[in-house]
Amino acid sequence: MRILDLAFKDLSQVLRDKMSLLFLIVMPVVFTFFMGLAFSGATRPTDPRLALGWANADGESRFSQQLYADLEASGSVRWVEVDPAEAEAAVRQGQVAGALVIPAGFGQAVFSPAPLQLTLIADQASTAGQSLYQIVQAAVARMFSAVEIARLDVTMLDAQNVLPDEAARAEERQAALEAALAEWTQTDRQRAWVRVESAVAQTDNGVPLGGNPFNQSSPGMLVQFAISGMIGAAGIVVQERKTRTLQRLITTAMKPWQIIAGHWLAMVTLVLGQTLLLVLFGQLVLDVNYFREPLGVLLVAVAFSLWIASMGLFIGVLAQGQEQVILFCLIAMFLFTSLGGAWFPLEVTGQVFSLIGHLTPGAWAMDGFQNILVRGLGLASVWQPVGVLVAYALLFFALAVWRFRVREA
Amino acid sequence: MTLAIEMQNLHKRFGDLHAVQGVSLTVQAGEILSLLGPNGAGKSTIISMLSGLLQPTEGDALVMGHSIRREPEAAKACLGVVPQDIALYPDLSARENLLFWGKMYGLRGAALKKRVDEVLEIIGLVDRQKGRVDKFSGGMKRRVNIAAALLHKPQVVIMDEPTVGIDPQSRRHILDNVKELNRQGMTVLYTTHYMEEAAELSDHIAIMDHGRVIAYGTHDELIRLVGEQTRIDLTLNVDAGRVLTAWQQVEGVSRASAQDGLVTVLVDDSNRVLPRLFEAATAAGARITGVDIREPNLEAVFLHLTGRALRD
Ligand SMILES: Nc1ncnc2c1ncn2[C@@H]1O[C@H](COP(=O)(O)OP(=O)(O)OP(=O)(O)O)[C@@H](O)[C@H]1O
Ligand SMILES: [Mg+2]
Repeated sequence: MRILDLAFKDLSQVLRDKMSLLFLIVMPVVFTFFMGLAFSGATRPTDPRLALGWANADGESRFSQQLYADLEASGSVRWVEVDPAEAEAAVRQGQVAGALVIPAGFGQAVFSPAPLQLTLIADQASTAGQSLYQIVQAAVARMFSAVEIARLDVTMLDAQNVLPDEAARAEERQAALEAALAEWTQTDRQRAWVRVESAVAQTDNGVPLGGNPFNQSSPGMLVQFAISGMIGAAGIVVQERKTRTLQRLITTAMKPWQIIAGHWLAMVTLVLGQTLLLVLFGQLVLDVNYFREPLGVLLVAVAFSLWIASMGLFIGVLAQGQEQVILFCLIAMFLFTSLGGAWFPLEVTGQVFSLIGHLTPGAWAMDGFQNILVRGLGLASVWQPVGVLVAYALLFFALAVWRFRVREA
Repeated sequence: MTLAIEMQNLHKRFGDLHAVQGVSLTVQAGEILSLLGPNGAGKSTIISMLSGLLQPTEGDALVMGHSIRREPEAAKACLGVVPQDIALYPDLSARENLLFWGKMYGLRGAALKKRVDEVLEIIGLVDRQKGRVDKFSGGMKRRVNIAAALLHKPQVVIMDEPTVGIDPQSRRHILDNVKELNRQGMTVLYTTHYMEEAAELSDHIAIMDHGRVIAYGTHDELIRLVGEQTRIDLTLNVDAGRVLTAWQQVEGVSRASAQDGLVTVLVDDSNRVLPRLFEAATAAGARITGVDIREPNLEAVFLHLTGRALRD
């Protein structure tokens, strides 16, 4: 009973402080939005197509028009008209991902023995540059294969002496070319060579968010602000030592274990309350589907709260003053959120980072939530994260009791 | 007579420092015992051992018959402890603090509220009960600090320098509270380094120095212990030599001496002797122009026993 009284006193002390409400609720909500927007910005670009400069010095020739239309139809590039003289500058300044330069007389020279070369200006080291090269290469190869077909056609008919004069030859060549090009376009449509979709950008980014960017920021910020939310409650433990109310508690026949238990209970209540509020907020406002597996989420939330409370208790008995409480909480927060994948999923990091990250309980808390939210797993998937979190809770609790004993002696 | 507290050869060592060196004091039920001693004498250390904050290095103590070693919970239940430092939650109001501490002493519900009201009445802070403690003056904090130890109506109250650093008015209030509580039957163990407080409050006084009790008794016993007499300093309108011999003959005067025009007379009872001194002076044709009576005090006792002043 006295343990409950002590816990209740702690809670009323924390909650009457407007600053702690800011940390417990307002900040996580704001940051969940903020981080969510950051992820959605990265995953849903407005126009996924690469900007390609159209530096045409050849006028309206049949071939330049064909290239223009072909590349546009690929769905992978977006044309931006640039002056051929300024094409390189445009690429340098990042206005376009690359620029295709069509030299003057290009169309005229196509059927000549020495056709003019096209120039693609792009950064070959960048993925965009490489993609552009391949896209342009494919379009140009198709065009020249059509040209080759037309040339072969005329050569064959010539061998049979079917074409009476030069004009008939030119006519036949043109007809064969158009037929070949039309055939290309036809196969392209029907056989669907490669369709590039905006989904490419998402897999590119590698963020497995299951479609909702808040699936990352909601549990992430929940983990982050639960840790910093301990500042108030751990501060009370320090205050109690500084104001000597701890001594007075001992003279009232409160046993040390009861004092520890009271503070710990207050902290568990605080974190669990905060966590459940943020889960509700995620579910109801941000459409993060915690309710897919309510029992699993509850288990993770409880195990998570036990860990955070035990760590808060340890910080409370460890810190010399309020400044140290803030310092330790912030260190714990940065350590466990960055390594634990609260800011970005550990999947996008290397294997080593992910491995190190999983030494921290933060990663297991994130795993517990993400198994349900993103990976679509069931209740069974939370047992391992819950087990690890409870183990960490016990570890921190033992450290806190040990430290409390040392101070008491 | 029952013993409220019985200390049995208490020792406390902090590493090399032997802070309490074999103290065996008893506090009778219903009395006020003062521990009087300078800074570092070991007063707070004794109180910490009695209230369960420190384990004695050696020895034991019984509080209402309960050993602080073997039955610490039972011993604590009989005690109310007023610590030397203010031990309150600064961000809670006076009332919230008292409600909380009452709960820690096992009080609940209506009984708790009633007792908090009573205690606020005792310390005279009914009007200010809603105020946050950290906004209180030093004297008000001290009073709440005392109130928190009275909630469970303990049989024994231990007060560790409850009047340090406060205004005379609050101090008066506290001393009156102590006397009133004692009148109602509470046993009080009071520590101080103000000899006036010890003299005013106590049934018995234990003078401490360097971890030991160097003298114990009632106020009068202690003063008699060192044979101090009342000293009267007198100045005259004539040369001291004219009355000195006459005064040495007066009944009740044990010694009279003159130095730099000031005559110092040692007497047993100034009320009886002083009129005779005036008579003798008149007879010798001298007029007394100044009188200064110095009652023997605990300060003098301490000085006598240790060769040092109580307050450095
Ligand atoms: N926890 C401790 N560790 C080490 N030394 C201590 C400790 N507590 C007290 N002392 C030392 O023990 C001696 C007695 O201290 P104590 O506080 O009992 O004196 P006191 O009579 O209460 O003095 P004051 O009038 O200043 O309160 C002092 O020399 C003090 O420095
Ligand atoms: Mg002291």
